Amino acid sequence: MAAPRTARQKDVRRHLLIYAGLTPFVLIAVFPIYWMAITAFKQEPDLYRMDNIPFWFNLPPTLKNFNILFHQTNYGAWIVNTMNISAWVALITLLTAVPAGYALARLRLPGAENIGIAIFMTYLVPGIILFLPLSRVVATLGLQDSWWALVVTYPTFTVPFCTWLMMGFFKTVPMEMEEAARVDGCGQFGALIRVVLPVSLPGVLTSVIFAFTLSMQDVLYGLAFVSPGDQKPVPVGVPTELIRGDVYFWGSLMGAALLVGLPVAILYNFFLDRFIQGITGGVVK
Amino acid sequence: MSDPQPVKTSTLNRRKFLTVAGAGVAGGSLLTMLEARQAPAQIKGTTLRILQWSHFIPAYDAWFDNVFVKEWGEKNGVKVRVDHIPHLELPARMAAEFAAGAGHDIIHNGSSILTRLYYKSLVDISDIYEQAGKKHGGWIPAARPLVSVEGREYGMPMFYILLPMLWRKDLFDQAGLKPPDTWELARVAARTLKPKGHPTGIQFSQCADANLNWRSLLFSFGGAEADPSGEHILIDSKETREALRFAKALFDEGMTAEVFSWDDASDNRFLASGVGCWIHDAISAYRTTEDTNPPVFANTQIALEPAGPNGKRVSVSAANVYMIWKFSKNQQAAKEFLTYFTDSDREGMIQSRGYNMPYLTGFAKKPMPIIGADPKMQILQDFPNIVAFYGYPGPFTTPIQEVVNLFVLPDMFTRIARGQNVEDVVKWGMGEYRRIFAKHKTA
Amino acid sequence: MTTASLRGGPEPTARAAVVSVPAPAAARVWWRTHSAQRKVFGYTLLAPAALYVLLLVGAPFLFSLWLAVSDANVGDPVARFIGLENFRAAWEMDTFWIAFQNSVVFLVVAAIFKSLLGTSLAFLLLQQFRGKKLIRGLVVIPFTLPIGISVLSWKWMYDSQFSVINWALSRVGLIGAYGSESWPIWLGQPHLALAACIAVNVWRTFPFSAIVLLAGFTAVPLEVIDAAKVDGCTFMQRFRHVVVPMIFPILMIGFLFDTVFTLSDLSVVYFLTQGGPGNASKILPVLAYQIGIQAGNLGRGAAIALFLVPLLVPALFLMLRNLKRREW
Repeated sequence: MAAPRTARQKDVRRHLLIYAGLTPFVLIAVFPIYWMAITAFKQEPDLYRMDNIPFWFNLPPTLKNFNILFHQTNYGAWIVNTMNISAWVALITLLTAVPAGYALARLRLPGAENIGIAIFMTYLVPGIILFLPLSRVVATLGLQDSWWALVVTYPTFTVPFCTWLMMGFFKTVPMEMEEAARVDGCGQFGALIRVVLPVSLPGVLTSVIFAFTLSMQDVLYGLAFVSPGDQKPVPVGVPTELIRGDVYFWGSLMGAALLVGLPVAILYNFFLDRFIQGITGGVVK
Repeated sequence: MSDPQPVKTSTLNRRKFLTVAGAGVAGGSLLTMLEARQAPAQIKGTTLRILQWSHFIPAYDAWFDNVFVKEWGEKNGVKVRVDHIPHLELPARMAAEFAAGAGHDIIHNGSSILTRLYYKSLVDISDIYEQAGKKHGGWIPAARPLVSVEGREYGMPMFYILLPMLWRKDLFDQAGLKPPDTWELARVAARTLKPKGHPTGIQFSQCADANLNWRSLLFSFGGAEADPSGEHILIDSKETREALRFAKALFDEGMTAEVFSWDDASDNRFLASGVGCWIHDAISAYRTTEDTNPPVFANTQIALEPAGPNGKRVSVSAANVYMIWKFSKNQQAAKEFLTYFTDSDREGMIQSRGYNMPYLTGFAKKPMPIIGADPKMQILQDFPNIVAFYGYPGPFTTPIQEVVNLFVLPDMFTRIARGQNVEDVVKWGMGEYRRIFAKHKTA
Repeated sequence: MTTASLRGGPEPTARAAVVSVPAPAAARVWWRTHSAQRKVFGYTLLAPAALYVLLLVGAPFLFSLWLAVSDANVGDPVARFIGLENFRAAWEMDTFWIAFQNSVVFLVVAAIFKSLLGTSLAFLLLQQFRGKKLIRGLVVIPFTLPIGISVLSWKWMYDSQFSVINWALSRVGLIGAYGSESWPIWLGQPHLALAACIAVNVWRTFPFSAIVLLAGFTAVPLEVIDAAKVDGCTFMQRFRHVVVPMIFPILMIGFLFDTVFTLSDLSVVYFLTQGGPGNASKILPVLAYQIGIQAGNLGRGAAIALFLVPLLVPALFLMLRNLKRREW
């Protein structure tokens, strides 16, 4: 009887330690989010009271800020655009970066290293300069002022990033596995698809998620290439219609950020689990 | 302003009030609209694209996009589309459209007026500029330097946004203070009210309002930025030193250190919280308090630009100009529209609830719509005589543009407030001005 | 991570597992016979990415190089070659050196905090405990919010008057009341302003570091760690000699890309302070944007922006050398 109890006590103590360690991280990460959330539901006058406790409602909460978002701006369209853009960018990134990462990491191509460096160097090119020539490209393709312009331009930063990320992941896959697969009769491509990719699934998913999130971090390209109200992604639309001269619509701004950020966080978390399953599954087999 | 929450019970009432109050003057604008001449047939069936900022007033954008341009478009058989982007990012979008050689037909500039940078790629619209001047009693003197390059006009000044003095009458009265009609009185008020928990504040930081506000002070003190040719820097002057010393005293006696962090919206909040005794800002700061802090709204007054030591008043305002790209395939419709837009200035003033101020003296006659009918805002009608823009008394040239974008003048005031001595500040400022002017000369 | 690699040695010690890489001689011969086929296959895989990057970044990059050595203005189609004049102009500019220094400080300080926070968070998340999923979901939120908007909420939290941070500090008694000397003006005091911008960058990206590390850690087979435990390695030894070498490629890549991203990102500083007060938080991308785009001096803007490259190239070569040494 004594042994299980101590095991349990040990477990409780371990949990407490872990929670204690995590608390500061959670606080740092989550407090601004909490603050955004509560601001989104506050009435405007509630924001400008200094004497009251700001962490809770001093005036009744309101949905007005969301009302403004959905009824007086194109927020609905912005969300759809953002999701479309992110999905396309993720797809393009996958189709280009994964094979490229594999080729650079595994196939010992002559000149591979230089090509790798060249691809990386492109990441060094500052967007504040790049957007001018890119706007010419966008116009030539006839995509100016359509969200497709961003589908074409965002991979300029996701592809180099994810290529290198995948190089890193592929390098951790032992060569023997692939060779074993070839001996088993898979071709080169078959070995990639059936053996290397499944083992590198965490990397692939990481790439997808980064492509997704990186697409939501840009403001400059969006401002420069897309001006019609119904074509903008969220990060461009929000400052356009919710900052007017020197008037900030704080509640609506923060509601807008949360409504796109939280679903992605949930998705992210779900994928994170997949990684781990994928990797442990690979080991067990 | 009253409009962050457009769904409001009082909106209707106010509108009704405005309709009644403005009925006398609105008649004129209606006439103009009705008599607007039929545009030439060749623009029928074309498309016109306009890019502009998001106005302070959401309802103004709704009116502009869905009523104003639509009616014009239907009448002339032109499909018009209006896009909006944040006003501070208009230069980036303009650069992108230039690089692409495609985009909108009409482009708006607010605060940063880029006519001189782009004039080679803009349509010369001297003809409609002159016509509008003739038709509406002439342009105010500050208008032409905004858009004129080598004697030709490449843009249509449409309206400007004032930054007047917004002061708390209740606090002033309680302390027995005189209204802030001069900078000196404003300083005395801040000195008196700061110990009572009501300091003042002007941005000592890198933001658009700082560029405007400190220029108003400097020019009212008799200072100048460049001569009318735009070639010679006039910053190194006795008046600049006086203005700097004054700002230092104003900061020490009447402000707290928070002004170093302020952006364009901070002074709005400062007033709305009931703390600030006066601020120098666009009337949006005053308008918003109607919702956020009604007592402050009731007790806030608007004053004429305070006079400098010699009684001079110069109010530096945020200019707004419309231009037509040379690459536009629909230049004629664009010109027609700009003419019509200018002719409808009065309607714009009404829809913007008095934010839009006219460059044409014909529209600046008292009583002006909205502001002429509001006892507190009436004083805004006196600003057209004292309004100025960057570079004063010279034009808004490309070197001035860079000076503005690098916040050289606000930095001079920041330096003095932080305790650097006047000579060092002027020397530093002159160095920056010279460096920038010299580079533009060699280029 | 694989049974194959673990079977490689009779005693699967940590070292052996990690360095179990050199392919058997027989395999190498087998490879060589398929060499041509491999190359075709390889270049085919590489082509889409390489072409994309070449067309959409390579060509525009050459264009921005040209801008940097010309007197181009945003609105002037004709530009002349002026050599290194733009770089000289930047060199002679006080603000440029302040921005340069701030960029370096920003990068180094942010990197230190990110790696500290990221590593410790990744370790904590490696443990098994209840509520792990929830907590993991919570800590990644900062990274998933669009930066252009979340930085605005920081602006509101740093507000000189309504700062919730100050409110809390004041109530706890760490600082005085609003208006007193000890009430920090986050975006208005020179050192605080830069620190405040760095804090936002760290807040936003430390989950990124943690995730990259976590993905790396989970890629290390538990067997290897267990084996090292059996061998009596301490925690730090296991970390240094087992885990770090295994995840090194991912670590370096994450680190390098984050570096570039941090150096070239203008949104945090641009939205928070515009580089103020007085230039105290000005960093190179913001300066380049203000001069190149807002004031219209494309050439000088490009030159300032390209100053970032010499900052980054040493880091790049360092990393490549390291990766190469580990070539399997």
